[in-house]
Amino acid sequence: MPTISFSHKDLEKMVGRKLPIDKLEKSLEFCKAEIDKVEGDDITISVGDTNQPYLWSVEGVARLLRGVLGIEKGIAKLNIKKADKKIFVDKSVEKIRSYLSAFIARGKKVDDYLLKQMIQLQEKVCEGYGRRRQKVSIGIYSYKKIKFPLYYKAVDPESIEFVPLDFKREMTQAEILETHPKGKEYAWILKDCKKFPIFVDDTGEVLSFPPIINSQKTGKVEIGEEDLLVETTGTDLNAVNLATNIFAYALADRGFTIEALEINYGKNKITTPKMFNEKIKIKTADVDKLLGLKLNDKQITDLLKKARFDFNKGIISVPEYRQDILHWVDVVEDIGIMYDYEKIESSPLTSFTVGNTSEMQRFIDALRELCTGLGYQEVFSTLLTNKEILYNKMNVADLGTIEIKNVMSENYSVLRTWIVPTLMEVLSTNKHIEYPQKIFEQGIVVSRKKEDVIQHEKLALVSAHADANFTEARQVLEAIFKAIGVTGVFENHSHDSFIPGRVAKVLVNGKEVAFVGEMHPKVLSDFGIDVPVVGFELDVDELFRLRK
Amino acid sequence: MNVKELAEGLHPLERKTFPKIPSKSSVMFSELAKQIPELQEVEIMRAIQWLENKGVVKTVKEEKKVAELTELGNKYLKTKLPERRFYNALLDKKEHSFEELKKEAHLDDSEFQAVLGIIRQKHIPVSISKERKIKLAVALPEFEKPSVEENFLLEAAGNPEKIDLNDELFKTLIRRGIAKVKDEKSVKISITSLGLELKKVALSEDVIDKLTTKIIKEGSWKGKNFRRFDVKINVPATYASKKQTYRRFLDDVRQKLIGLGFEEFAGPVVESEFWNMDALFMPQFHSARDIHDAYYIKEPKYAKLDEKIVERVKKAHETGFGTGSKGWKYDFDVKRTHQLVLRSQGTACSSRMLASKDLKIPGKYFGIARCFRYDVIDAKHLPGFIQTEGIIVDYNLNLKHLFGVLKMFAKEVAGADKIKITPGYFPFTEPSCELSAKHPELGWIELGGAGIFRPELVKPLVGKDVSVIAWGLGVDRLGMFKLGIKDIRHLFSHDLQYLRESRVI
Repeated sequence: MPTISFSHKDLEKMVGRKLPIDKLEKSLEFCKAEIDKVEGDDITISVGDTNQPYLWSVEGVARLLRGVLGIEKGIAKLNIKKADKKIFVDKSVEKIRSYLSAFIARGKKVDDYLLKQMIQLQEKVCEGYGRRRQKVSIGIYSYKKIKFPLYYKAVDPESIEFVPLDFKREMTQAEILETHPKGKEYAWILKDCKKFPIFVDDTGEVLSFPPIINSQKTGKVEIGEEDLLVETTGTDLNAVNLATNIFAYALADRGFTIEALEINYGKNKITTPKMFNEKIKIKTADVDKLLGLKLNDKQITDLLKKARFDFNKGIISVPEYRQDILHWVDVVEDIGIMYDYEKIESSPLTSFTVGNTSEMQRFIDALRELCTGLGYQEVFSTLLTNKEILYNKMNVADLGTIEIKNVMSENYSVLRTWIVPTLMEVLSTNKHIEYPQKIFEQGIVVSRKKEDVIQHEKLALVSAHADANFTEARQVLEAIFKAIGVTGVFENHSHDSFIPGRVAKVLVNGKEVAFVGEMHPKVLSDFGIDVPVVGFELDVDELFRLRK
Repeated sequence: MNVKELAEGLHPLERKTFPKIPSKSSVMFSELAKQIPELQEVEIMRAIQWLENKGVVKTVKEEKKVAELTELGNKYLKTKLPERRFYNALLDKKEHSFEELKKEAHLDDSEFQAVLGIIRQKHIPVSISKERKIKLAVALPEFEKPSVEENFLLEAAGNPEKIDLNDELFKTLIRRGIAKVKDEKSVKISITSLGLELKKVALSEDVIDKLTTKIIKEGSWKGKNFRRFDVKINVPATYASKKQTYRRFLDDVRQKLIGLGFEEFAGPVVESEFWNMDALFMPQFHSARDIHDAYYIKEPKYAKLDEKIVERVKKAHETGFGTGSKGWKYDFDVKRTHQLVLRSQGTACSSRMLASKDLKIPGKYFGIARCFRYDVIDAKHLPGFIQTEGIIVDYNLNLKHLFGVLKMFAKEVAGADKIKITPGYFPFTEPSCELSAKHPELGWIELGGAGIFRPELVKPLVGKDVSVIAWGLGVDRLGMFKLGIKDIRHLFSHDLQYLRESRVI
């Protein structure tokens, strides 16, 4: 969930109304946002909607709040002049990073706070919506240092040298990917490319190496500057244009004049910021179907205008900084939000349904009840563990394990294939607790058989104390069998976790459902346990099938 | 307790010990023990302890130094002192060589040397010839009587406390390795005024302590008294074996949901990206689908899926599947949708249910699902956690029903009185909302989220337009509040003492 920070006073100025914290809190609900932190004038909020990146800026939040609070109504207008300047996009960027859009913002002095806000929006949009700059990245430049027209092309990584931001010497693009911190961070985006994108001006001066880094010379915006060039590159034309529009609206809200640029793709020419002119039809009946509020057209129009849409004769105009409206349900939600969830009455469900759980769950609960009745304490563990516990310490070979590819912690690197090792872990961490220790766990185990993933419900039980022996474990197992009406046949078994000759496999109707035995002292010492341990593991799925 | 009850409550050991404690003076423990030869010292000690706890006797612990025989001393007590054995061997008045004497008197070299010194000291009349042969010149009656050393041996064995530790003779014996000084802890026992009262009550030996089968069968209890037990005294702890606390809580949640008309469903923990994400209309490029949000598994890499359903979902993603949606407008990656992950959200069970031929309309479903998310482990995050999620399928459900469901959950499942429903965001629901409850100390707490499934999700899976309310409750957090736990790891605690002492209500 993106978080943004801004000045409380600035927000109030942008909204045009005093918003004490409690009032702000309520107002932010309309933006699906909430306050994380307030430190004096500094406020940090988190914004819930990952499909509305325009809200990841104080300007965007303020624009919506002006609608929510009735200060402005309907679509926010963006006045755009034509700059009569061109950017040429060379064919060489196709399949590398095809799209570019840009505009000029003029006439407003950049101060420290504004610069921070611009960088915050740039980072949030590039990282989240831009998928860590791969899909979309944004560059801001000092306009007065640039000579139009500009060129966006792809070149050999060793062919051009320039000084990247925060460095003092010239480097090739290949070198930047290897040595510059930003180069190393984002090199993965270009890992399959033979040529790298570059953005240069008419004199051949490098503006930036998208999506990696700006040049130190033109790509560093200083406090006090008044005219900026904002450029977006990316792999998805819609996303690139949306990011540009979000920035254009934000800067216009700050008092900049926005000037459009012509982007020349050879045959195709488009002017950016590009207006989508998106419309969507909506019927009063649809609104009622989804909200159940019986709103009339006038109410619907007012609510839509609060949410900064325009509505005319059943057709909604979508703001140019939004691309999240796929279906009329998306707009109807906004109508509901603007109506205010606090004022919406709730209705009871009217259809009658019968509650139930599965036969299997009932069977599981019966087994758990038996185990507690037999004097065993239930434990409950996460399913993730590691091979050291599952196999090495248990003195057995790999049973076919589902392993995690992107491991966070080696301790939690595989799914458990059996439960006894978990219980041994429990015993090993409770050596200071009074014996006898009698515990059990019921739950899922998962294993792999070639290309199949096999999930089973199992139950394991152990008893640890000075006099624990095979008979005791077998008695418990037989008590369970008796209580569920099956008969177990005990046969010799070979299992290296147990003492040879003191381990049995248990058959019900000829099918193996369990093994039971006395834990081998080697296993006990691997877990650091000083008392005998006996126990079993029961295949609950198999037993469930066989019990009838 | 009155004296009569006190008397009835005496343990058999106390019954045997108490009468031997004198009323008028104190007695040393060792003295007392001698008077009750039928009991072991530890038993008497225990009886005294109990009697003292009841205020019947008083004890004073003393520490003093007393004489004690060494191992050698104890040996000489049996075999006689070396000088006596030497003297006895010479009583035949014949000449004996040194070697003969050592053998006859069982003296080792050092003892023999010592004895030669002693006979000189004691002026025992022996003569030693030039051939180094020894002969007793004359047998004197005074040497026939026990020597002071021999008397000491007897005294030290019988009444060690009577020996004066400063006696020169004692010091000599210490030097000879025959005696030593030991620290003796002794207990002096005296009776209290309550004890004096108790003395006046006749203590019958014939009370029933442990009721046995024999006593019951024979009826020999008739006419006898039972020993009164001190029912107020602490006893050692024992614990009920129980269901694990968090699992018990989840059992309760299950019961409540069944009571509200929900049917339970389940699904696999190793899940395809298809059911986990794609079938929920979460675009493959969505930021919540980074490698850093789900656990991918090494082998096998891909799941087997019903390709017909995959095709429908692909269409929904690309162009909206005829729902009136424009879709996400990108190329759906069919290979990727087969990729296996550890289920990252319980909603995966809901997508499976919607596509199932067993789906009932109207129907209400829930699942208690183990889920996994790529997260650093700390007090608030675990790599494995539990979600309780579900769906309500019916015709014409709207936002007001959604609110009704949330209020029902808040009241029935979470037991919350003051709640708040606010706009929310989930990639698969529109509208979406969040449910919070007012916690007396912590303020507003998120209980869960819900929404109405998007048509682009429902139509490809169900095959027709129905309304589906989807909901999820943060049961891990609910459980933490209910169980008074601050660290999420405690929900899966392996601390046996905690589990043993946990409460069930």
